[in-house]
Amino acid sequence: MSYLTFLVIGLGGGAVIAALGLGVVVTYRASRVVNFAHAAMGMYIAFAYYELRATGDMVLPILGLPARVPLLDRPTEVTAFALCMLLAAACGAVIYLLIFRPLRGAPALARVVASLGLFVYLIAIVGLRFGGQGAAALVLDGPLPNDLVVWGALKVPADRYWLTLIVLVLAGLLSLGYRFTRLGLATRAVAGNERGAILLGISPNVVGVVNWIVATMLAGGTLILAGPIVRLDPATTSLLIVPAVAAALPGRFNSIWVTVLTGFAIGMAQSEILFLQSQWSWLPDIGLQKGVALVVVLFALVLRGDVLPDRASAAGTRLPRASNARNVPFVAIGLLVVGIAATLFVSSDWRSGIIVTSIATIVALSVVVITGYVGQISLATFAIAGVAAFSMVRFADDIGLPFPLAPAAGILVAVAIGQVIALPALRVRGLNLAIATLAMAVAIEELLFRWSWFTGGFEGATTESPSFLGIDLGVSAIGDAFPRRTFVIMTLVAAALSLIVVSNLRRSSTGRRWLAVRSNERAAAAAGISVTWVKLSAFALSSALAGLAGVLIAYHRTIVSASSFGVFESLIAVAITYLAGIASPLGAVLAGVLASEGLLTVALDSISDSASSYQFAVSGILLIVAAIKFPEGIVGIRSAGGTRS
Amino acid sequence: MPSHDDSMTLLETTGLSVTFGGLHAVEQVDISIQVGGFVGLIGPNGAGKTTFIDAITGFVPVSEGTIVFDGQRIDDLAPDVRARRGLTRTFQQLELFEDLTVLDNLLAAAENPKWTDMILDAFHPGRASTSTADVDWALGVVDMADTCDRYPSELSHGQRKLIAVARALAARPKLLLLDEPAAGLDTTESQALGEQLRRLVEHDTTVLLVDHDMGLVLSVCDYIYVLDSGGVIAEGTPAEVRNDPNVISAYLGSHADEAGADDASESGR
Ligand SMILES: Nc1ncnc2c1ncn2[C@@H]1O[C@H](COP(=O)(O)OP(=O)(O)OP(=O)(O)O)[C@@H](O)[C@H]1O
Ligand SMILES: [Mg+2]
Repeated sequence: MSYLTFLVIGLGGGAVIAALGLGVVVTYRASRVVNFAHAAMGMYIAFAYYELRATGDMVLPILGLPARVPLLDRPTEVTAFALCMLLAAACGAVIYLLIFRPLRGAPALARVVASLGLFVYLIAIVGLRFGGQGAAALVLDGPLPNDLVVWGALKVPADRYWLTLIVLVLAGLLSLGYRFTRLGLATRAVAGNERGAILLGISPNVVGVVNWIVATMLAGGTLILAGPIVRLDPATTSLLIVPAVAAALPGRFNSIWVTVLTGFAIGMAQSEILFLQSQWSWLPDIGLQKGVALVVVLFALVLRGDVLPDRASAAGTRLPRASNARNVPFVAIGLLVVGIAATLFVSSDWRSGIIVTSIATIVALSVVVITGYVGQISLATFAIAGVAAFSMVRFADDIGLPFPLAPAAGILVAVAIGQVIALPALRVRGLNLAIATLAMAVAIEELLFRWSWFTGGFEGATTESPSFLGIDLGVSAIGDAFPRRTFVIMTLVAAALSLIVVSNLRRSSTGRRWLAVRSNERAAAAAGISVTWVKLSAFALSSALAGLAGVLIAYHRTIVSASSFGVFESLIAVAITYLAGIASPLGAVLAGVLASEGLLTVALDSISDSASSYQFAVSGILLIVAAIKFPEGIVGIRSAGGTRS
Repeated sequence: MPSHDDSMTLLETTGLSVTFGGLHAVEQVDISIQVGGFVGLIGPNGAGKTTFIDAITGFVPVSEGTIVFDGQRIDDLAPDVRARRGLTRTFQQLELFEDLTVLDNLLAAAENPKWTDMILDAFHPGRASTSTADVDWALGVVDMADTCDRYPSELSHGQRKLIAVARALAARPKLLLLDEPAAGLDTTESQALGEQLRRLVEHDTTVLLVDHDMGLVLSVCDYIYVLDSGGVIAEGTPAEVRNDPNVISAYLGSHADEAGADDASESGR
């Protein structure tokens, strides 16, 4: 009987996934955007609701506007809900008109980046406005009744049933709306072709605005009602987008009922797996339930993909022109010399900034190779870095490998995992690949980084201080100022070498084949280039760079923690690299400077105490602007004239 | 079937068929191309010419039949493997590598990478390419050596068409499949292209030319196959094909209008 109980309890999570999936479908139908920030938008609305209920203040999500507007003393649930639905409607309309309407003809990557920018912005603004968690953390009772409903041996809180009913009714209304209202018909026409809607006498703008409003209200409303079930928290709630997208995929981002059914199925399967883990002791105690979404995504995508795109599908992702990188090795050596010289004189804050910037440069190079040069959007960079970091500690602790061997072995494991992540890339491309790699990243986080053997159990994973030929390369030592200068120099050298290797490859025959595949896979195959080999080898190099960054992060932190390698980090890395210039090694250097805790943060901190706390929110906005205005990235703008002879 | 010496056959298809859903785009096509031949493949719009080339080069799955190239079955090989065996093609829609210069476009096609290349390239990027000679030759054939450092987007449509041919040539193919290389070119450009293509025979390159420009096909090819609704309806020397009643009714009769419409749509891109 308890098997059934957990299945029914899973209705709650399932309803949330189904509703978020529906929102993804609605926005996709209206504007051909898979909005990675969809769950984050709903999350903001839910935070605002619980804050409004507790304090009577409406919290506004826009930097520059007043943070709080006192509205009522003690709003009732109904008033608060209604006010937050208004807020949701406004957010939906503004986000569509300001961001996604201008991007309607833009390349897939620009749209992905814009939604990542929005994602980053929303998480940052929740942090700024609600001080971490705010009232949402305290609220345990939502608007729905949650007393136990007893049905024979089946005892399940009432809110599960309510939520299920509400989501099913909303889905029904939506499908009726699409079928029988003029606006609904126009939306279906827009999905086919924008002129279709104009023929029906409705402007595509109106169609977009209305659908975005519906989607945002749906996400906000569901997360308010499900607040006690999903437990609101920026990191996990915003990532509900992964199962939501998984739910929308089998119906090709178009079918309402396939999405709803898949959503419920994912939620119920997750709940059941949680229960089975407590019953069958041989099941590992890791986040198996998060793997459900991955399985759905992979099945939906890979079974459908083709090894080469067919004649009709438009060629490749449009990306900024790749700079020829001829002078990069000299710049790298120059930067190395300047960096080493600076290391000898600057204070500890700046030394930390140099370390973080060097490591972030290597991460960004990993993105430049795979996305900038080969055109494959991968959102799993930090998952791969984390695999290297944890593996290194295992090799050192369990086998006793010494310094250069343990990190090298860790990087090799990262390369192997990178090849697994690359497999979907052989069959799917563009947006679908972004989704597949995102699902992989979540799975690695949940499966590997929660596996106590892999992460060192209670003791955690502590790195041994590296030393080579008698030189102590560690980040700290008794009697030395932290961080030690030799460690700073080691990270600088690693970054400079990575820069040189990547730019050398770009300039040689390997780089030609990378860019050939990026421009046109069919033509590349016709020219005798093995697209499969190019993708796999580029993923290998990209993973090796991510792994190198991972082991350096581990040595820097000395204690390896899964929180350094979360999905959020990967999303930020891709987004900031895009902003800085995704097809240029020097763009990677700029991305390193812009990274959180990097040189820019240190500089901002030295100006004023609070400046750097706005860094994320501002970079989110910059990303959105960049995606719309400068698809070539900052470095791209500067060198666009120079690279063409 | 022309009588021929088997040792001289470069490409032979038997019963080659391709279906899309229920549509028989190519049906039971037997074609054989001799070493050093200059073979034409013509037919009205939608006859299945591009699909035939796609099938030979591995871009669409073959539903029936066999392809023997240079004495070996190649039906199961991936497109890039077939290309490296000496079977290269151009595309009807221009598919140049827009992110690479003309020189790099050709080098990418000419080079025969080994897995060690990536490691060597990482540390010694300035190595001279072993394929420069082939690239220079290919650019020479189409008279485009002066465009080396330009990007495709900076060239005229006609120039881009020539670069596409040069890229396919740079791999030093045994058999070159050209899918409407003259579409969108004006008459003089088309004639110049014909002369340049004709010169290829002197370089031991065998050619299969698909084009709507009958003047071009009839003047440069020495053997022609006519395709209609997926099947071969006639074959022979230009003179034979010109006078074949099947061809006249199925193709040449309506040729003037069709070629005109096709040119308009091509150059409107
Ligand atoms: N991927 C595909 N899926 C379904 N049908 C296809 C596909 N590719 C081609 N076809 C169909 O196969 C038939 C043959 O097309 P094909 O492009 O080979 O003709 P063609 O002789 O090259 O014509 P054209 O002179 O216009 O280039 C056409 O009816 C076309 O619509
Ligand atoms: Mg064709």
